[in-house]
Amino acid sequence: MTGPVVRLRGLSKLYGDFTALDRVDLDVADGEILALLGPNGAGKTTLISIVAGLTRASAGEATVLGRDVVRDYRFTRRAVGLVPQEVNFDPFFTVEEALHFQAGYFGVRLSPARLEEILEALDLAGKRHANTRSLSGGMKRRLLIGKALVHEPRVLFLDEPTAGVDVRLRQQLWAYVRRLRARGTTIVLTTHYLEEAEELADRVAVIDRGRILLVEGKDRLMERQGGKTLRISLGAPIAVLPDGLARLGARLEEDGSAIDVDAPPGGSFGPALAAVATAGLPVGDVETRRARLEDVFVSILGSEGGAAP
Amino acid sequence: MNGLGVRTLFSKEMRRFLRVPGQTLLSPLITTSLYFLVFGWSLGSRIQEVDGVPYARFILPGLVMLGVVTNSYLNSASSLFVMKLQGTVVDVLVSPLSYAEILGAFVAAAVARGMLVGGIMWLVGALFTGFGVAHPLLALLLLVGVAAGFAALGFLTATWAGSFEQVNFLPTFVVTPLTFLGGVFYSASMAPPALRWLTRANPIYYLVEALRWSVLGRADPPPTAGFAVAAALAVGALLVAYAVLRSGWKLRG
Repeated sequence: MTGPVVRLRGLSKLYGDFTALDRVDLDVADGEILALLGPNGAGKTTLISIVAGLTRASAGEATVLGRDVVRDYRFTRRAVGLVPQEVNFDPFFTVEEALHFQAGYFGVRLSPARLEEILEALDLAGKRHANTRSLSGGMKRRLLIGKALVHEPRVLFLDEPTAGVDVRLRQQLWAYVRRLRARGTTIVLTTHYLEEAEELADRVAVIDRGRILLVEGKDRLMERQGGKTLRISLGAPIAVLPDGLARLGARLEEDGSAIDVDAPPGGSFGPALAAVATAGLPVGDVETRRARLEDVFVSILGSEGGAAP
Repeated sequence: MNGLGVRTLFSKEMRRFLRVPGQTLLSPLITTSLYFLVFGWSLGSRIQEVDGVPYARFILPGLVMLGVVTNSYLNSASSLFVMKLQGTVVDVLVSPLSYAEILGAFVAAAVARGMLVGGIMWLVGALFTGFGVAHPLLALLLLVGVAAGFAALGFLTATWAGSFEQVNFLPTFVVTPLTFLGGVFYSASMAPPALRWLTRANPIYYLVEALRWSVLGRADPPPTAGFAVAAALAVGALLVAYAVLRSGWKLRG
């Protein structure tokens, strides 16, 4: 597969006067994890719902593996797995039955080996005969992932997969997502947990008010948008910044007890450390802080006049 | 065609109602037995015959029709509504099942439940009144058509409904009154003029009478009227349900 797995062109969705998606263009490459990042109501769920067939676009085109999601829905839906944001369960059936039914809807007979693999991977083997109603919230969420994977989709959409999930389960889910990617599954992840995108994503698409503001490799984005900051904690506060440091753009913080210096992209902190030594300042501690995706995200939304995350 | 998908959805729908037999099979059986006991047995001993047929045997086709109508409607209505409520309707909507396949599986399972309940009711009633059926194949055909029509109506209602109260609107305010005023317990020719007029204006009356003809071999209006109503109901309701499902109304954004 050389082209994008998912390709969106001019995709729009209107609900009456409200524009949920506004002429979105986006490509998702084969085998990548793309994080779709945006505040609540930005259009993330609408976007993936259109690709998965849950919602119809008002205009534009969405293709999966080169086939239109409306005209060739049987083909595209077999290629797509969706883990919806809202936890759902059918109180009449067991975990195993739920997985068998979901596979059947996709025209797939779930082999015992594949069933076992999914149950093991999602830590549900001990609950296979339990009624889905009796599962904990975390188990229900894992079952959703299992149901989305029964037909071995080429691309998996995870809509806020760890919303309301505890730290241990979050780590487990992240590990499982990485394993899926390692096996060649393309993953699109919507989240407003920036830590999640930072942890998992190869690329980040920032969406706000239905518009894609930016799509970029996560590392490159953080490199470009947010460099490193050096913080020098002083043994005693100072009132005036020495000239050598002021020329490097340093700032006095913490009532003169600390100095922050931003490193220029690709540059080093050597000149700043030399200026501190030249000025003879009493250094208590030195630490560097790399800008987190959260800072980048806030700066992008801020520059576009968007909402806070 | 996604044959395995249709079979799976049908099988899931069947298992759903078979898993709660007390509610889906036993409950209508008890209700019918009570009708039979009160109207057939106790009143029947005084009424003796209606149109030359023992009263208990006269009311049996109408009771079976009531059971088939109610259960086929409730199966698709409650199943789809619970799926909407629980969010599991998403599981079907993201699958490669076509609209016709989804509707077909829902309706087939609802027809199966209606026929199963109707069959059990007929067996119980026949123990008291005799097993003879004048036109068994036509009786089956009629009941399947009626069940399919009401299953499609149930599907439509659940698509529209926002609460259980709305799901129960049709059986409570439409089907039950029409059935009671549809000649289940009386012959229109014996009724006072106002009730006779009301009965003959009621489409369910023609369904009940067509089944009565199929079972007893005689009825008041010509049975073709009932078969025509059943065919129109089945075709009309299925077409509207298909069009609504295809439009995405209330199910797809």
